[in-house]
Amino acid sequence: MTASDASPVHAGGPRDTRDVAEAVRDVAATGTALRIRAGGTWLDAGRPVASGLRTLDVGALRGIVEYVPGDLTLTARASTTLAEIDEATRPHAQWLPLDPFAAPGATLGATLATASWGPLSGSIGLPRDLTIGLEFVDGRGIVVRGGGRVVKNVAGFDLVRLTVGAWGTLGIITEVSVRLRARPPRECTLALDAPRAPEALAPLLRTLRDAPLTPLALELVDGALARRLDVGNDATILVRLAGNDAALAAQRTLVESLGLTHEVPTECWGRLQGSLPPGAYTIRASRRPSELAALWHDLGRCVAVIPGAYRQATLERGIVRLIVPADAALALHGQLAGLAERWHLIGEQLPAESWGLLPGEAFARLASNVRQAFDPRHLLNPGLVTPASTA
Amino acid sequence: MNRESLGRTLAAIVGERQVLQRPSELLVYTSDGLPGYRHHPALAVFPRTRDELIAVVRLLAREQVAFVPRGAGTGLSGGALAEGTVLLGLNRLTRVVSVDAENRLAVVEPGVVNVHLTRAVAPLGLHYAPDPSSQAACTIGGNVAENAGGPHCLKYGVTLNHVVALTVILPDGEIVSLGSADGEVPGYDLLGTFVGSEGCFGVALDVTVRLSRNPQAVRTLLADFTSLDAAARATSSIIAAGIVPAALEMMDQATIAAVEASIYAAGYPVDAAAVLLLELDGLAAGIDEDAERLRTICLDGGAREVRVARDEAERTRLWQGRKKAFGAMGRVSSHLVVQDAVIPRTRLPEVLRAIARIGEREQLTVCNVFHAGDGNLHPNIPYNANDPEESARVHRAMKAIMQTCVDAGGSVTGEHGIGLDKLDYMPLIFTPESLDAMCRLRDAFDPERRANPGKVVPVHSCREWMQTPVLR
Repeated sequence: MTASDASPVHAGGPRDTRDVAEAVRDVAATGTALRIRAGGTWLDAGRPVASGLRTLDVGALRGIVEYVPGDLTLTARASTTLAEIDEATRPHAQWLPLDPFAAPGATLGATLATASWGPLSGSIGLPRDLTIGLEFVDGRGIVVRGGGRVVKNVAGFDLVRLTVGAWGTLGIITEVSVRLRARPPRECTLALDAPRAPEALAPLLRTLRDAPLTPLALELVDGALARRLDVGNDATILVRLAGNDAALAAQRTLVESLGLTHEVPTECWGRLQGSLPPGAYTIRASRRPSELAALWHDLGRCVAVIPGAYRQATLERGIVRLIVPADAALALHGQLAGLAERWHLIGEQLPAESWGLLPGEAFARLASNVRQAFDPRHLLNPGLVTPASTA
Repeated sequence: MNRESLGRTLAAIVGERQVLQRPSELLVYTSDGLPGYRHHPALAVFPRTRDELIAVVRLLAREQVAFVPRGAGTGLSGGALAEGTVLLGLNRLTRVVSVDAENRLAVVEPGVVNVHLTRAVAPLGLHYAPDPSSQAACTIGGNVAENAGGPHCLKYGVTLNHVVALTVILPDGEIVSLGSADGEVPGYDLLGTFVGSEGCFGVALDVTVRLSRNPQAVRTLLADFTSLDAAARATSSIIAAGIVPAALEMMDQATIAAVEASIYAAGYPVDAAAVLLLELDGLAAGIDEDAERLRTICLDGGAREVRVARDEAERTRLWQGRKKAFGAMGRVSSHLVVQDAVIPRTRLPEVLRAIARIGEREQLTVCNVFHAGDGNLHPNIPYNANDPEESARVHRAMKAIMQTCVDAGGSVTGEHGIGLDKLDYMPLIFTPESLDAMCRLRDAFDPERRANPGKVVPVHSCREWMQTPVLR
């Protein structure tokens, strides 16, 4: 996670959307590209990006603009942190159920720009599903708004879904409206021992998927991570349950019937969210959920040859994350080509030289047309998302 | 290429009987579910297979002909109407291509009728969650184009939340895959962008949808209120209490009267000012406790009575009244405008009062039957479209209702789309710059603007706009 070596634009940093637009128009005149930055948690994913960019720090665009608890909606400026939103919504027994694996200072804008998600996404959905509207400044310095502040809306072409996950390459997100949820009044988390034998894991996962359970989150962590979270010594399935007393009791009984189980404090989810070691590399691998056990064991073979590596899986989505310490870049590099042949891979943070091992976008022409429509001169975060097409 | 020779070339691909050219044959395709618009396609073509569909789109690309994709034509915004262009009917592509029961996925052709998919997977204990009121007729392809909703979207989300992948033929004939059922794919969320693009970005060749498990238990409640205000406030209380019902629907007095006078009579109390139709589903354990909470909130909010459906037959009857309410209004008058707007849920009481005042002012009956839980209003007005004076009053009332919803911080459509009908409302909620951005997005998919031309974004909003060529 290296910040670009660049001089900041807009003396003192932009204070509002108009400043951001002005800053973009300024650099557009000279053709200077920008690296957009707020909290600095997700900058460039380690991609091999061009140097000589100027940094546009939008960190001052901060604060909740509107929060109507009765509507379960909230509008905030992009650099508001998830922690601030949590603090504001907690007294109303509400929350924004976005739990990306990130530092506590992660901002709303960057979470959406990178479409970062966590264990709750299995039940509640992806960042795009919680975003009901947003404002951004495109690559020509024009302010655009998509969506609105209501929870259901199909007016016009969907600029919201387009911008979420675009890593700021279509526009600099300046303000966001999200839908909130009621915080579950009661919840508990059970740690269920995962079987060691590869052939025993698949049936257990199938049972979990078919069982009458409505977990908030279902995360498989390997032994190394279980020990760090203090939830077990070996691979463990964390089952986060919520509901009224009767629903909780019935689900608890069911989970307990599946194997050795013990209750763990709900705080383990916060620890999991912040468990990423500094400078670590992360890839996500996936296929259909029914193949998860095979995927888990395949990545287990990688973990065995990469010192300090560990894995976790978001079961309902069929996705396994492999986390590799900063000093094991070379060992990770050696595994990537093989993994990319067998699984769908997404790089969250990779060594610069490893990005080339990941397949690019299949329909680059369409993506490039879209980029062209919003940032024709490739001034915004060049090198991210569509590295091949940008200098 | 003129119309006759295009017709002949298309017939060579799909067969004579799959090309309609005579005005009498095309009559049924001059309107959709919304009255008041009549557009005349130059011809209509109905491919029966994926290969035929691809060949047709590529021919239209080669000949630079504009076209309008159409499923069952149940849309409520005039989105599937073609004026002097080719109407591309997709309702003969009706195969459920494959079902993966273990991963709860199905691949379907665009013309599969919504409820047919649910029926096809019912033996597996699965269903397709989005359930627009037209689900007995509307197609999955049309649902994708409109990002269709339905009562149960309150808990389960709209079409986009249930589409995991699409194979799309772009208007220029290129075939692309958006999203994937086999894991995460990198890049922009073009799947999320395509869903809801109202046929302007291309045509889906197949749709991979997520299927949902049938819930272990369902409870359906009918709460009966003597004031519309109280029903609206009870809705807000339920949402604020953090209960997410599977559905939370409201029907007002005028709607109840129409339903109860029809063959869809559901046993709604005809003297009620409004009823709430509430549904909870999920695990059997705890569902009765949640139902009791809902009952208490409604009674505390002034409900006269809250009834829980005793069995599946009563449940079906309660829902039939809701889903066929539009049909029931057909008895009241010859035409019906079904309006669609969204407001913040806390504004329901005041907006419903304002809508009633607008109705009185224009001497029209407004029937409200809508998805109260997500603030998605459907103020409907029965009228006679052949009476110009009454039509003018309806038009004025609709405009005033829209303005009221926008002023309350809302949107001009929650699930029906913009199509033709709401083009004029777009500038109420989007700046010229945002509308221009939408034009640019469309141009990324369809630079020649041949797919469903003139819909969704007012043409004058596009910085560089061009006239769509019409076939002679």
